[in-house]
Order: sequence, then structure tokens, then C-alpha cells
Amino acid sequence: MRTMESENIIEMLHITKEFPGIIANDDITLQLRRGEIHALLGENGAGKSTLMSVLFGLYQPEKGIIKKNGQEVKINDPNDATALGIGMVHQHFKLIEVFTVLDNIILGAETTRVGFLQKKAARAKVEALSERYGLKVDLDAKVEDITVGMQQRVEILKMLYRDNEILIFDEPTAVLTPQEIDELMGTMKEFAKEGKSILFISHKLNEIMAVSDRVTVLRKGKYIGTVDTKDTDKHSLSNMMVGRPVQLEVTKAPAQPGAPVLEVHDLCVPSRSHKKNAVNHVSFQARAGEILCIAGIDGNGQTELVYGLTGLEKSSGGTVTLCGEDISHASIKHRGANMSHIPEDRHKHGLVLDFTLEQNLVLQRFNEKQFQTRGFINQGAVREYAGQLIEQYDVRSGQGPVTVARSMSGGNQQKAIIAREVDREKPLIVAVQPTRGLDVGAIEYIHGQLVAERDKGHAVLLVSLELDEVMSLSDRILVMYEGEIVGELDPKQTTVQELGLYMAGAKRMDMSGKGEKGA
Amino acid sequence: MKEQGRTLLQKDGTKTVLASLLSIVIGLAVGSILVLLVGLFSDNLGLTSAWEGIRLIFFGILSTGRNASGGLTWGFNPQNIGNMLFRATPLILTGLSVSVAFKTGLFNIGAPGQYLMSTMVTLAIALGIPVSALPSPVIWLLAFLGGMLAGALWGCIPGIVKAMLNINEVLACIMTNWIAANLVTWFFDANKIFQNTVENTKSSYVYKTAYGRTMVDGAWTYVDGSGVQTAKLGLDKIFPGSQVNAGILVAILIAIGVYILMTKTTLGYQLKACGSNRHAARYAGINDKRNIVLSMAIAGALSGAGAALYYLAGNTEFFWQTYQSLPATGFNGIPVALLAANNPIGVIFTGCFMSMLNIVGLQLTKLTAYNEYITDVIISVIVYLSAFSLLIKTLLTARKKDKPAEAVPDGPAEENTVKKASVEKGGERE
Amino acid sequence: MTFLIQQTLLYAVPLMIVALAGVFAERSGIINLALEGIMIFGAFVGVLFVNVMQGVALFHDAFAARNWMTLQGLELLAMLAAGVLGAVFSLLLSFASVNLKADQTIGGTALNLMAPALVLFLIRIIANQNTLGMADGSDAASWFMIKKSTFGIDRQTDLGFLGETFINRVYLATYVCILLFAILSILLYKTRFGLRLRSCGENPQAADSLGINVYKMRYAGTTISGALAGMGGFVYALTTANCASTGDVAGFGFLALAVMIFGNWKPLNIAGAALLFGLFKCIAASYASIDINGDGVCMLANAPISSHVYRMLPYIITLVVLAFTSKKSRAPKAEGIPYDKGQR
Repeated sequence: MRTMESENIIEMLHITKEFPGIIANDDITLQLRRGEIHALLGENGAGKSTLMSVLFGLYQPEKGIIKKNGQEVKINDPNDATALGIGMVHQHFKLIEVFTVLDNIILGAETTRVGFLQKKAARAKVEALSERYGLKVDLDAKVEDITVGMQQRVEILKMLYRDNEILIFDEPTAVLTPQEIDELMGTMKEFAKEGKSILFISHKLNEIMAVSDRVTVLRKGKYIGTVDTKDTDKHSLSNMMVGRPVQLEVTKAPAQPGAPVLEVHDLCVPSRSHKKNAVNHVSFQARAGEILCIAGIDGNGQTELVYGLTGLEKSSGGTVTLCGEDISHASIKHRGANMSHIPEDRHKHGLVLDFTLEQNLVLQRFNEKQFQTRGFINQGAVREYAGQLIEQYDVRSGQGPVTVARSMSGGNQQKAIIAREVDREKPLIVAVQPTRGLDVGAIEYIHGQLVAERDKGHAVLLVSLELDEVMSLSDRILVMYEGEIVGELDPKQTTVQELGLYMAGAKRMDMSGKGEKGA
Repeated sequence: MKEQGRTLLQKDGTKTVLASLLSIVIGLAVGSILVLLVGLFSDNLGLTSAWEGIRLIFFGILSTGRNASGGLTWGFNPQNIGNMLFRATPLILTGLSVSVAFKTGLFNIGAPGQYLMSTMVTLAIALGIPVSALPSPVIWLLAFLGGMLAGALWGCIPGIVKAMLNINEVLACIMTNWIAANLVTWFFDANKIFQNTVENTKSSYVYKTAYGRTMVDGAWTYVDGSGVQTAKLGLDKIFPGSQVNAGILVAILIAIGVYILMTKTTLGYQLKACGSNRHAARYAGINDKRNIVLSMAIAGALSGAGAALYYLAGNTEFFWQTYQSLPATGFNGIPVALLAANNPIGVIFTGCFMSMLNIVGLQLTKLTAYNEYITDVIISVIVYLSAFSLLIKTLLTARKKDKPAEAVPDGPAEENTVKKASVEKGGERE
Repeated sequence: MTFLIQQTLLYAVPLMIVALAGVFAERSGIINLALEGIMIFGAFVGVLFVNVMQGVALFHDAFAARNWMTLQGLELLAMLAAGVLGAVFSLLLSFASVNLKADQTIGGTALNLMAPALVLFLIRIIANQNTLGMADGSDAASWFMIKKSTFGIDRQTDLGFLGETFINRVYLATYVCILLFAILSILLYKTRFGLRLRSCGENPQAADSLGINVYKMRYAGTTISGALAGMGGFVYALTTANCASTGDVAGFGFLALAVMIFGNWKPLNIAGAALLFGLFKCIAASYASIDINGDGVCMLANAPISSHVYRMLPYIITLVVLAFTSKKSRAPKAEGIPYDKGQR
């Protein structure tokens, strides 16, 4: 019989990692058995990524030790981790976009002769690996030209090329279709069968139930517990993760759609990365009092569609009509008269991080009469308005209106944006991935706000990559694939699997004229 | 809440001043070490002269020359102080120019070119309009405004190519600088009437503006004293023997104006929004391209005002064969702005400091075997330090501010910085 | 024609090597705006080296004895000195950008201000004027230029077009630079070092996660950059300014940056771009004596165009070229962004 020590290939014991002002990991213990798939569950911000970065040598913990095969080891940098056979697929892929797939795989583990790269042997090895695990990639393609799913395969091949036996997958399913997720699960199980040990980081309960042998749960930087998957269920896991019973479904009354607010006809938006249109002849309507969701895998033109609608990018064809007015070529400011926009990237577009909270709250409105007199800012009015929004939307920050936006937490930054956009009371609100990277409390809050907007009779155009969000929040779903709308679905009648087929381009409806009528 | 904010702000201000003072001290120290080294290793200089050089670097503004026995003498030197104020005038304005552009996220290294174009137009107007045609205050004003306009237009060029074509403004500015240097030479080469032939001891100089264009015996000539010059307002009585005039007051007024513009107005708000996050500004419906051009135009106008005030003094002359070199006053706007942490009021003081260094350089050349270039070394050290002294300061304050904020676990720490970087990057080239 | 090609090469080769200097820094993720300053510094160091060595008996006698080999050796040594000290000078930039995470634009500008100030300060003390040239007013061409007589060929012999252009009245430095350019281009694309260096300029987070030391790579890139720029500065001074240092290269370092952008950060394109810019720079410098078709008539000088226009030409062309290429150009993605190990 084996002892505990030899059964565990990796042990992280009592790890504590602090950042200025916060304790990201507080006395966390994680034991990974040889040949198991071990899930690490926790909300955004629970400390999962930090813990894995410690294991991978990217961070040094203040306290605690790491053991491999019962021997204490020091992991000072990724080189040490690689030497110990630890590999990681990062949530944000660590790929060099302008390099070829092969160069990306060998980078950092090159074979050389007097410094010159020897790629032939490497190519043969990678080809053999990709054959063996069915991980098809074009080795000479540049990473920027291949799909996200393909990029993930490159990341997996990077680990295999280095003969790693401990594989860390950090939120690997976020960018995949349901079908691709199934494929990935299969690959992971195959690795486990061959004796590789897998750490699978996720906050998605379905996937964890489907693939893992054991689950370790973290909450707010603290260790909550480790359980065998077969002895638990989704509800008790979600209780462990959040610390209270969670409403897994959004409660909302049936939609009562009114007249169309936004009419898009034949819209085309050019792409920045390639010559084709990113948005290719798209037509649809969004009606007052409904949440219309654009679903799809990341990079299928959703971002560009929103840019085209909001004016951040010039459209190359088609028309956009908002509240009966043709705004196809209107300025961003002009469009803003009837449209508010919760942007995809809150740091790039949503906030001026070096401005104070109050300055950010009047970002579009500083020129309105109440906030300025003859070009001079009416400081008192701005302060008062900001105070009002902060209170009404419960935006928390260190120093209230004068807090610098950069110093606020992600959730409160997003709340500030939501407050600003919702308070503008526009007939159309465009919300792009409004809950990305937030914890359950904030997600519930934002979902509630969007439903309230709908119930006020505003049209809500939601762009989301999260299937759960799409299914639970929307009243109507449009699926985008390669810049086109390939399906219109009713969330009450469709399944995640069917949605996945549309998202992957495996299935498509004849959309001619359909979207426009709003079915 | 208000109280808290204010004390923090004060602390922040204190830190800025401290960081700047530290930079100055280090800069002067480096200059002194250089002087010492050269003194030690050079045969004809030696330790005594090095010690003199070092003392002059720190206190040159109070130097009154040498006494009969060859020792340095010290004391209040009204001529030096007055000249310092006079030379500070254009420096304050180019400093403002650089700082306004900085606030909009642009590095205006094009101040020398804007300065030159303004010089050309100012002199052309001041020397071109016959004294009999208009009263001289009107000519003065026209020349001043003309110079500002020329600077503004020249500043627009890098602004436009940056906004429309996203060309790195630093490169565009450098190129426009050299184009300006050639254009100005071309202009005065082609318009021989402006070339000073009266004081024929020197070649390639344009008339001082104190010379007025007058018709004498049916021919246009220049007569000393009939032209335009900035009023002295009694300043020459306070600082006898110096070149000081009311220009310094104009510069201070403009600095206050810029301060109000940047902190109190919607235009300033827009410029700063574009500067800190061009994407967010665009998202909010602010016309980022217009603001970039506008910011460079304002910056150009400020540099232009600096040149106009300098050359309208009436007793300054312009070397027009300038195609091989650019005016240092333009480049020195950069350290002036950096030392002041881009604060328009601070620029008044750092501008005076820079001109003091200038005077010190002249004293060094006059009184010792060293030369004025040592002050340029000191200035460059200060610029070098300010490249990261600002950063150290922000790090200090950022940490203090982070603590009361809510927990930012896991992602955000990473996300924040990565995003910030990508945003800034995005602003650069796209 | 021979004259035109030779003159163009004189400008194009330093441009090329300094633009490559820019590539090494930017590909590693550091914007090296200080190329101009490092050139000025390198030129000064090289000239000073030559000036001092002229007094050493070995070289003094070599010149008297027409011992060309030794003199070419002196030229190479001066290039080496300029390169080494250029690299040392550039450490100021790497230290600020890598260790202190400074604003690279301001850091580079500081070096651009520092170099001429320091150089002029020293020149004034050494030479008591604003120019430092070769000792005793001797002439760079007579010391270093390779001529027919160098090979013992009679002056009257016609070597044919190629011979006249590439062997007669040329500098060894030009060919050394071309050779270096080729070697370093291969280094950048075919070796492990090059692959890793380029990864740091594109995605330092990724490079770091693969165990590549981003700080070291950035230091390496900037140091190579400094060495090349310093050497380029001296070559420029030697071949176009009669081996004199004046604390100024008239925006040449910035032209090199433009060449780099125009060449899209790729060595081959840069070589082409440098030739083009070299041609304009050559026209600007010697429009009066360019005889294109060899009929003894200097067309450009006789054309009714002001000399000022020719002088402005390189700068205007640069602006126009940048305007046309900026949309297509693709800078290394991570350039200019300080990399912080603690925050990934």
C-alpha cells in the first residue's frame, strides 16, 4: 500500500501570498494526486490564479512550502517549474502573436547548435504529439491568424513538448464552444489516464462535475475544503464557493416587447486584423422592453458590431436606425443622445483611470448645461450629482467622489460605469460582457439592473460570451459566427447544445429577412 | 471626506516639490563632480579652479566677478537677477507649451521649431511695418500675436499627422524642427532687407526690433530707437544694467491663464481626458482628434509667445543662418515642464531656475576656464531623473491610496497594469 | 554616377547600422529615442581616440611610412572604441527603462540632451573651440581612405565602373558596417538569442512564463543598440565630416528611427529604406557637385531650386514617408511599456 506522501505528486502546504493591501492567498493547502483531475473552484478574485502562479514560480509566497513527491522544492521562476515537470495553460494565453505556431512551441526550450536554431527535430516531435492526441494545428501559421480554440491547442502542445507531467489549466473553457469544451474534457481525461496529473481551475460547476475527481474550494483567499466529486453536487459546491445559497437563475417577468428601437440593416464593419469584414451584412432589430442577446465565441465580430453601432469604428456599408433616425454616419456624441453603452473593456473605454470618480461619472455629460457655465466646469453640481449616483448605485470607494478611479476594485469600477450609463436613461442600452471578471454578488446586481432597464421599457442589447448568462438573462438570442448572424433562438425553447452548434458554425438558419422582422 | 482629500493633495504636492528639489540637487552634484574630475585630470585647470567652478555652479547667480587679487566676489547682483528674469520669460512659455501637450498625452519636442517660426514672423512684422504706418504699441501687439499664430500653425502639423495618421509625434516634431530651421534661414536669406548691415561687425544677424523701418531720403532704412520694444515698467530701475522688461509679467499672466484653462474649464477637462485615455475620451463622444490638434496648437502658440517676447525686447538679435542648429530655449522647455510636474504655476519657478542655470553658465565661461555647456549637462541629468522621479512619487502615493480601497484580490492587480499598458500602447499606434 | 553612389553609400551605411541599432532595442521592447545622442557620443569618442592615437609613435610612424594596414587597424580600433563607449552610454537608458521602469521617451530625450552637452563641454576644454578634429589639422582622407595607391595601383589606371565605385576612394568602415549588418540580421532571425529577444518585445509576459529573463534580454537589446549607434556615429563623422566631432549630427539619429519605421523593423526593408534616405541626404549635402550623367554639368545645382529646398528635403521626405507607411507599419507590440516582474 502506498503512503500519502507518494500518492501526492504535488503538495502546496499553508501557502500565504500577500499583495499591498490584500491577502490573496491565506494559509491554503492543496494536494494533487498522481493521475487525477483536481478541480480548483472559486469565484473571480478568490485567489485561484494567484495560487497557481505560486506553483508555476511566477510569485513567491510569504509563507508555506511546496513539495513534489514528498520532497520540498523551491520554485523561483518558470524555469524551475518546467524542470519539475509543471506546465500551465494560462487564462490569457501566453503566445507571441507574430510568431509561427512552431516558434511559439519551442520558445524557451529551443534546440540549438552553436546558438543557431535547429527546428527540424522540434517539428517532428510536435507533429508526433499532435498526431497522438488529435491536437491538429498548422505549425507554420502565425498565431494571430488562427482561432482561439486553435491557440489553446498550441498552449497544450507547449506543455507536452516540454514533457510536463503536471498540467495546470487556468479557466480553459471560457473561450470555447460547448462542443470544443467536450473535446477538451476528453483530452484531459486521456492525459489523466496516461498518468499525468491535472489541475483544472474553473468557476463553472457543470464542467467540474463532469470531469474532475476531486475539488478544492477557495473563497476570498481562504481555503474552504476539498471534497470528492462523486460525493457532492452542484448546490453544495456553489454554497462552498459563495458562502451562501445562490440564486442560479435570474428571476424576471416575461418580456413585453414594444416597438423597435434599434434597426440594423445590412451592416458591414471592416476588420482591423484582416482584410475581410469583421461584421458581414448583419441585419436585426432590438425592441423596447426586451433583452436581446448577441451570443457567440469571442472574436466572431461581436466587438466590431458594437463598435459599428456606437460609432467607435466606421461602418463600411448598411444602415443603423436608432429611434427612427438614421445614425449610420453620425458621430459618437450624436449617437449618445439615444444610446448608452457599457463597454467591453472598462479600462480601455469605460473609465479614465487617472481621473477621479466624479470626473468619470460625467464623462459624457460635462458639457450639459447643469455641469458648466460658459465653458467653466460647475464643480459643485458635479460633486452633488456624483454623490447622488454613488449613493443610489452603492459604488464603494476610498474617498467617495474624489477617489482616483484606478484605485477602485474591479467590481466597483464596473458599478460606476453601470450607474453612469443607466442613469443617462436612454432608450437603448448596449451592454458588452457587463459581468466579466466579477464575483457573484456583483453579477446578481448587474443582472438585476439590466432587467430593471428592460422593465422600464428600454431596449437592452447584451453581448455575452457566458452561455449561462445568455440563457438566463436574455429574451431573445442572436448567434454570431464569423461576422454573420447565423441563428435566432428563444432561450426558453433551445438548449445549450443547440446554441453551441450555431456558435461553432455547424448549424445555421436562413436569416434573410428574419432578424429584421424580429420574429 | 473633503478634508481628507485636501491633506492628501497637499502631501502629493509636497512630494512633487521634494522630488523636483532632489533632482535639482543631484543634477548640480553631477555637474560639480564633472567639474572636479576635469579639474583633476586637466593640466591647465587644477583643483583651485575646480573649486571655483563648483562654487559658481551652486551660487553663480550671486557672483559679482573677481576682485583685484583674482578671488571670486559674491553679493546681490541686480544685473544677474534681472537677466535671469528676462531669460526666464521664453523658458516659462516653452515650459508651458511642453506641459500643456503633456497633459494631453503628447510629447512636444517640437517647441524649437515653433519657437523659430514665431521668431521669423514676429521679426518680419516688427521690422516689416513702417514706423510711420502704425503706432508702435500696435505694431508690437501685431508682431506678438503674429508670432503666436505662427507657432500655433507650426504646432498643428505634428498634431494633425498624429491625430489623422497616428504618426509618433516625437518624430514628426523633430522633422518639423529641422524644416523650420531651414525655412527661417531661407526666409532671411531671401529677404535681405532684414539683414543687419548697420552694425556691420557681425554677419548673419537680423536687426533688433528697436530699429524701426523708416523712409529716409526716399529709401527704406532702419533707424535705431524708432522701432518697437517691450515696455520696462520700471523693472530696469530695480535691476539696473539688466535686460529685464515687462515680458516676464506677461509670461506669468499667461501661466495663470493656462492653469485656469487646464483645471477649471470643459476644454481643459477634454484635453486631459484625451491625454490620460484617448480611447475612453472617444467612447464618451469627445472628439479626440480635434483635441490632439488643439492641444498642439495651444502648445505651439505658447512657444511662439516665448519667442515673440524674447525678440520684441528690442535689444536681442537673431542669428538667421540657423539651419544647422535649433534654439536651446525650445528644448529647455522640456526640463522646465518636467521639473514642475506639468503644473503651470510651478513652471514659473522652474523656468526661473533654468534661466538661473543659464546665467551660471555664462559666469562660468566668463570667470573660469570652464564653459557654459556644463549647465546643459546638469539640465540633461535633471531630465533623466525626472523620467523616473515622477514614477517613484506615483508609486509612493499610489500605495498609500490603495490601502483604504476595497480588496483587489487575484486578477485586478494584474489586470490593472496589463490593461493600463495596453491602453497607453493603443494610444500610441494602432 | 560613381560619385553619386559613393556619396549615397556614405550616408546610407551609417543610417542602416543606426536603424538596426533601433531595431535591436525596440525588438527587445525598449524605445531607443537616444540614437541621436549615442551617435553624437560615439562620434566624439572615436574622433578623440584617433586624435590621441595619432600622437602614438606606432601610428605616427605608420602614416609617415604609408603603412596602410596599420592605419586601417587604427580605424577599426576607433570604431571599436566608439561602439564600446556607445554601449556604456546606453546603459543609462537601459538602467532607467528596465530597472526603474522610467518613461522611455523622456529617458531617451535626456540622453539626447546629455550627449551634446557633455561632448561640447569636453571639446571646449580639450580643443578650446567647438570642434574636435584630427590632430595637427590632418585630413581623414589621407589617413584612412582606401585609394588606388593603397593597393599600389597607378592613379591613371581605370579600374572600370565597379572598381572605381567600390574599391577606389572608399572607407573600410563602410564595408565593416555592411558585414556587421548582415551578421546581426542573421543573429536576430536564426538564433535562439534572436528568437528570445524578439519575444520580449512582443509579449514579455509570455516570454517570462517560458523562463526567459526579460530584463536581461532588454539590457542585451539596448546594449547592442548602443554599440551600433556609437559605432555608426563615428563612421558618420569619419566618412562625412572629415573625422570631426561638433556635438551634433543634425537629426541623423532621428532619420535612422524613421528609416526603421519605414523598414517595418525588418533588416532587409531597412537596408532598402536606408539607401533611399541616403540618396536624399546625399542630395541635400552635395547637390552642388552631383553630376548624374557624367557630362560635367551639375544639374541639381543649376536647376532653379533654392539650396534651402535641398537641405530641407530629407526631413520633408521623412514626414511624407511616415505619413504613407504609418498605417501599415507594425511596431513590436510591447515596446515602450516597462515590464514589471511583480505584476503579470
